[in-house]
Amino acid sequence: MAEPSTVADPSTMDRGARAIEIRGARYVYPTGNVVALGGVDLNVDHGEIIGIIGQNGSGKTTLTKLFNGLLKPTEGTVVINGVNTAERSVQQMAAHVGYVFQNPNHQLFARTVDDELQFGPRNIGVPEDEIRARVDEAIEFFGLHDVKEEHPYRVSFPIRKLVGIASIYTMRPPILIFDEPSTGQDHNTTKIINDLMRRLRDEGTTVVCVSHDMPLLADVVERVVVMKATEIIADASPREVFADKALMARTNLQAPQSTEIALQTVVGLGGPVALTPQELADDLVGRLSGSAPASSTRKR
Amino acid sequence: MPDPIIRFENVTFSYAGTDEPALHDISLEIMPGEYVAILGLNGAGKTTLGLCVNGVVPTMLAGDLEGSVTVGGLDVADYPVREMAKLVGMVFDNPEFQMSQMSAEEEVALGLENAGTPYEDMKRIIPETLKLVGLEGFESRSPLGLSGGQQQRLAIAAVLAMHPKVLIMDEPTSNLDPIGKQEVFDMAAKLNRENGMTVIVIEHEVEVMARYADRVIVLDHGRIIMNGTPQEIFGRAEELATLGLRVPEAAAIAAILSARGLWKGPVPITTEPAVEAITELLGAKNG
Amino acid sequence: MSMQAALPVALIPGNSIIHRINPITKIVWVVGYIVLAFATQNIIILGVMAVFAFMLAPIAGITRPLLKGMLILVPIGSSLIALQIIAPAVEKPWTPAWELGGFVIYTDGLYYGLVLLGRIVASLIIALVMVMTTHPSDLFTSLAKLKMPYILNFMSSMTLQLIPVFQREFGIIMSAQKSRGMKGSGFAAVLPSFVPVFVGAIERVQQLAISLESRGFGSDGHKTSYRQVRARPLDWIIGVLGFVVLIGLSVISILKGLWNISALITFPGPFVAGLFFVCAAVFVGFLVLIAVFSFKK
Repeated sequence: MAEPSTVADPSTMDRGARAIEIRGARYVYPTGNVVALGGVDLNVDHGEIIGIIGQNGSGKTTLTKLFNGLLKPTEGTVVINGVNTAERSVQQMAAHVGYVFQNPNHQLFARTVDDELQFGPRNIGVPEDEIRARVDEAIEFFGLHDVKEEHPYRVSFPIRKLVGIASIYTMRPPILIFDEPSTGQDHNTTKIINDLMRRLRDEGTTVVCVSHDMPLLADVVERVVVMKATEIIADASPREVFADKALMARTNLQAPQSTEIALQTVVGLGGPVALTPQELADDLVGRLSGSAPASSTRKR
Repeated sequence: MPDPIIRFENVTFSYAGTDEPALHDISLEIMPGEYVAILGLNGAGKTTLGLCVNGVVPTMLAGDLEGSVTVGGLDVADYPVREMAKLVGMVFDNPEFQMSQMSAEEEVALGLENAGTPYEDMKRIIPETLKLVGLEGFESRSPLGLSGGQQQRLAIAAVLAMHPKVLIMDEPTSNLDPIGKQEVFDMAAKLNRENGMTVIVIEHEVEVMARYADRVIVLDHGRIIMNGTPQEIFGRAEELATLGLRVPEAAAIAAILSARGLWKGPVPITTEPAVEAITELLGAKNG
Repeated sequence: MSMQAALPVALIPGNSIIHRINPITKIVWVVGYIVLAFATQNIIILGVMAVFAFMLAPIAGITRPLLKGMLILVPIGSSLIALQIIAPAVEKPWTPAWELGGFVIYTDGLYYGLVLLGRIVASLIIALVMVMTTHPSDLFTSLAKLKMPYILNFMSSMTLQLIPVFQREFGIIMSAQKSRGMKGSGFAAVLPSFVPVFVGAIERVQQLAISLESRGFGSDGHKTSYRQVRARPLDWIIGVLGFVVLIGLSVISILKGLWNISALITFPGPFVAGLFFVCAAVFVGFLVLIAVFSFKK
């Protein structure tokens, strides 16, 4: 096999049939025989946007750490973008998978925000002029103009979190993993994150979003993977998952409020399992103003 | 009418070395036993407001304070934080950062030891307090080995042991999973209803606050710009949106319908009233 | 997760007689051991001390972790003995034991080397036994009773707590850097990670300070203690016995001019030569092992 390229150029990269292909992956902590992941199978196609939900300790974090090789499975195989993670270092996987950590304080260390955004792409061998272009573009998109010469630790926490995300985004990985992107955010910065998700979808990036923030997931993901006690116990569209009351109760998770209201009102009348207030309101407007329910064709 | 337990009188505060005041002419009264939610964007002054109540501002974090903050009749500027601790308990967003002891019971004991509580009293208070937060049986467990929700409840127990009248929680669940979040808020609600504890919560999640709070205060750029019942505040979806804040989804649905003239009744802020009102609307339409 | 396993030397929970002995009694023994170890050059006494301390391990059920903790003696012991054999720390003239070209090894240093090693081994084992059988809180409570300043006590117990926390934080930060394709290895690569570790530590300490102050920390009034450490008659007996024997032996030893019995013992030349090569080989092997391990990382 040829020396693996570290430059993430999707045109020359041997993209596997799928973005993520996991077969019977188990992970047991080397100390104390604690099973953190018990036999998981998962396929994610290129360009899919999925959410992973479950309580702490359900195995979510362990699963996502398999994606970029931070953990290698004790049993089973993990193939990402056509590459078996067992054969690569984390640094080599960085060109394939971007991983945004929950706490930006674990990630940032450069002198300025601008330097921070350059670090990743330079590591994976992106040409200098391309780095500049990507950084400028990210500063624009994330609204970091006023702080780009600031030290990353001198900006407010929500902005710092955006810097953390931007510092991975400039690497343009074909697969992007977010660990709790919306914690510690306010509604302004949450909006930027939602916009980013839509943009990533348009660019064909595969996105994995681990989050407890159900409204965020309802808004941006197409597929939800539910984990409990180190296993995947459900894998379906957000509508199906949030409509499954027994599943939500069993995992102690709560569907978005709009979904709960819809389930107790319009769903019984043939209305949609609404994921957002707008969706439910649209349906109600249709019903109340006399015309046929607007969204009956949109269900599922 | 009883006297307010917390009173802010024309409080303006700037941190040392800054020009922009973090709090701007705040006047506020909070009654004993109230459950108050504080909303606002990051940097609106919510945390500073909370820190004023136990005197960390201005005694530990220096700055320029005008006006006065009194708690239980004591001016916070005149007492060290450790004195105020007998009146006000405060917990922060990261429970792990508040842990310093080898076991849960020692964590709870720390404040009592510092106050010179006799051993016999501690032997009674510590199990009582751990029971109050649902951590009986965890006495000798290491705080760092607990789940996030348990850690945060332990942090709360550690301040409750000193029998404060007021509990302030600054984004207490932002680092917790849904189970942990529920544990903490259920416990705070219980303290409020059964023990008459005055509770102040700084929180982003409006659905949760709509369920528990008696009163919502909205801060923007260091000023109080809304102050009322959750019903009143969350009925003003458009105004809140201009501040970058959202309302519970139940209220958002009503707001959209109301703009089309299709919603007449009161704005629901939690799931059940929303379901009732929508069922009624649909029933009226069909029948 | 596996946080508790991070410290090589920590309490091994148990309820053996050794665990139940009062911490102050244990402190008396440890201090007595150290005093006697340095008051004597009698290798028989040192040997008996080491063996006695080691015999406590099976009683307390800590043999395996104790042996693990004693691993550190391998490089120290082997280098110490090897060095004493080629360059004795005693006055010349030295007795050559073996010679090859210009390289000479001597028998004179071995006795002194064994004394040094005996001191370290005896003190280390008894100290490890104490740490592994005493709950840190009880230890600190006892130290407070011995009038160790409160703040000093708090700081040492806090440090003990924070080591595993920072190890974990450092691990996460290294993972985050690797995930961004950080190149290189060794110190230069680790350096950037110290920025977030440092910032994290400051944030943690700031919040902890406010949190502690809010719980009355730093008040100068009378303090009480929740952990009660009782002293039973047995603790007194063991403590007094330890004090009398250990200090008594120390006094006798000093009166006898440190009780050096090297004159009674002669090491045969081939034995010394063999020992030297074993020690040297162990030490070099240890260095190579470390080099290989760090290179691999």
